[in-house]
Amino acid sequence: MNKIISQLTVAILLAASTAFAEDKVPLKTDLPKPMVVGTPAPIPKEIKLAPEVKQWPNFMVPAGTVNLAKGKKITSSDKDEPVTGSLDLITDGDKAGEEGSWVELAPGKQWVQIDLEKTAEISAVVVWHYHSQVRVYHDVVVQVSDDATFNKEVATIFDNSETGKDLAYIETSFGKLMDAKGVQGRYVRLYSKGNTAGKMNDYIEVEVFGKPAK
Amino acid sequence: MVTPPSTSRELSRREFIGTTAAAGAGLLLTSCSPDGTPKTAAAKNSPLNKINIALIGCGAQGQVLLDSLTVIEGLNLVAIVDIWEYKRNENIRRLKSQGFEVKGYENYEDLLANEKDLQAVVVASPDFWHAPITNACLKAGLHVYCEKMMSNTLEGARSMVQTMRETGKLLQIGHQRRSNPRYIFALNRLVREAKICGRITSAHAQWNRTVTNDLAWPKKSEISAEQLKKYGFKDMHQFRNWRWFKGLGGGPLSDLGAHQIDIFNWWFGSTAKSVMASGGVDYYTTHDWYDNAMVVYEFTTPEGNTARAFYQVQTTTSSGGGYFEMFMGDEGTIKMSESPNTTKLWREDRSTKAWEELVGENYLRASAVAKPAGDADKVDVRETAPLLEYEIPVSFNKKIHQPHLENFFNAIRDKNVKLNCPADEAFRSEYIIHKANEAIVAQKTIAITKEEVEA
Repeated sequence: MNKIISQLTVAILLAASTAFAEDKVPLKTDLPKPMVVGTPAPIPKEIKLAPEVKQWPNFMVPAGTVNLAKGKKITSSDKDEPVTGSLDLITDGDKAGEEGSWVELAPGKQWVQIDLEKTAEISAVVVWHYHSQVRVYHDVVVQVSDDATFNKEVATIFDNSETGKDLAYIETSFGKLMDAKGVQGRYVRLYSKGNTAGKMNDYIEVEVFGKPAK
Repeated sequence: MVTPPSTSRELSRREFIGTTAAAGAGLLLTSCSPDGTPKTAAAKNSPLNKINIALIGCGAQGQVLLDSLTVIEGLNLVAIVDIWEYKRNENIRRLKSQGFEVKGYENYEDLLANEKDLQAVVVASPDFWHAPITNACLKAGLHVYCEKMMSNTLEGARSMVQTMRETGKLLQIGHQRRSNPRYIFALNRLVREAKICGRITSAHAQWNRTVTNDLAWPKKSEISAEQLKKYGFKDMHQFRNWRWFKGLGGGPLSDLGAHQIDIFNWWFGSTAKSVMASGGVDYYTTHDWYDNAMVVYEFTTPEGNTARAFYQVQTTTSSGGGYFEMFMGDEGTIKMSESPNTTKLWREDRSTKAWEELVGENYLRASAVAKPAGDADKVDVRETAPLLEYEIPVSFNKKIHQPHLENFFNAIRDKNVKLNCPADEAFRSEYIIHKANEAIVAQKTIAITKEEVEA
């Protein structure tokens, strides 16, 4: 009897895991052409870096996951006219490293925020700050919330500031993929504070992969 | 043996050059700073020492220089110049966001006509504008920091040296490694004083880059055809990609190679006496200049020895270790790069130099992956065993162009401070770089005399 129950349990588990596996698909996105311009800024030896991304990661997401950020409204902490570009470039689908593809915000700590319009179950956030120069990005914090002011119920999905657990990284044309682990929220806020090449805050594109929350 | 300088000068010098280092190496840097005495602290406290400057050329290199100009004390950035309104206004807004209010001008003539209190300009225009702009600014009584290449022609470069001499104004050429404390330390202390490489017989430098697309531009921000023609460009594509076109720039050999071939001259303490080279437009279809080039120079060192230097620049592959300058001797090799992570030294097993003593004094650091010390008496003739590996325990925490710019501004303030790369010195490197491009066309070895490298 026990053997039958055991076999039944295994069968159920196998069926469940097969169904679960079938629900997951590799995350895909259109990648920009790599480009590097100008003299590279040396990377200080003291900075502990995450392994450089040399290929698009094999990251599994629930079937039906889409980029919810495409064309969505962006706000930012920088109330002046951007140094270059406009905020809508962040969700326009253009990830090229060319002039005219990015928005640049004032120096110091700044944030940009995407309103997904509805609460969503978010699997991943992918950000392209700037990839035509070798730069190390630090002080990047990405949060999700249903509160537009981010004063309550804030989930942090990435933090490589001094107090965060994530490592600084060199951004490439593959962008930076951040695992959101299915967190739910309507707003995604991305903080930055310059990089090793300069003080300014650049964004080419941000994609938020998820599904509308049930 | 190398004697560390006294500690009494250490603090002010360390503040000045802004390096981080192990304690011993910090001492070393006190006598390897870009110039004689610290001036920036004095400049900060004295409005009389404020230098009014303008930047001419706001492209990629101009922006890199701006990143340094905005953090150097004692400067008053008055204006920026660029023919592209899109870049000019972008940089005015960028500077404003950082607290700098600057005026914008379309060209250097408007700048000189309107700004009468300037003392110096920094020139980062396309190469073919370097000589006209530099000569006009020197004649207007300004000191000039001009990016390399000096000019796309030897005649242009020579005219810049002549104008410098005629006007008595300073002309620094932007070979920024000449003011890099890591390079100065490595050359003065390790190579020349400690003779750590022994007799240097060869050098190898390279800059290999992956394939990239030509630069594009926002269509809504194009320069008019009439204006492009006025400033010497056929169209926007040529304007954005001027480095690849003959008559405007010198191609990768001058864009990337200029810095590194200059290191050959500087570190060997002489100028190449011959050059042979091969290169071609093998890959790209929209360029005039060579995608890839391989060059061999022959030097006679001040000691009378022969040394050969190989240089390669590839714009079709990033393989081969990126960018570095490596000097190889019978007792050791030193591999330099602006990237501290690439800098290494290797000790030949036969070396009699006191490498470990230098490690003890923090002049060197044994690499973490170094093999145990070997027996110099045993020679394996079957294969070359890996050499003991070392690092320079010094890192540099300023922008890479900052010390060279500071050397220029310090020389303006104080006649006792010498430029690290005055135009007449830079001309010798300029000359042998132009000759490399010439050797590719000639497909033969070109001899270079001591006389012809003097402007």
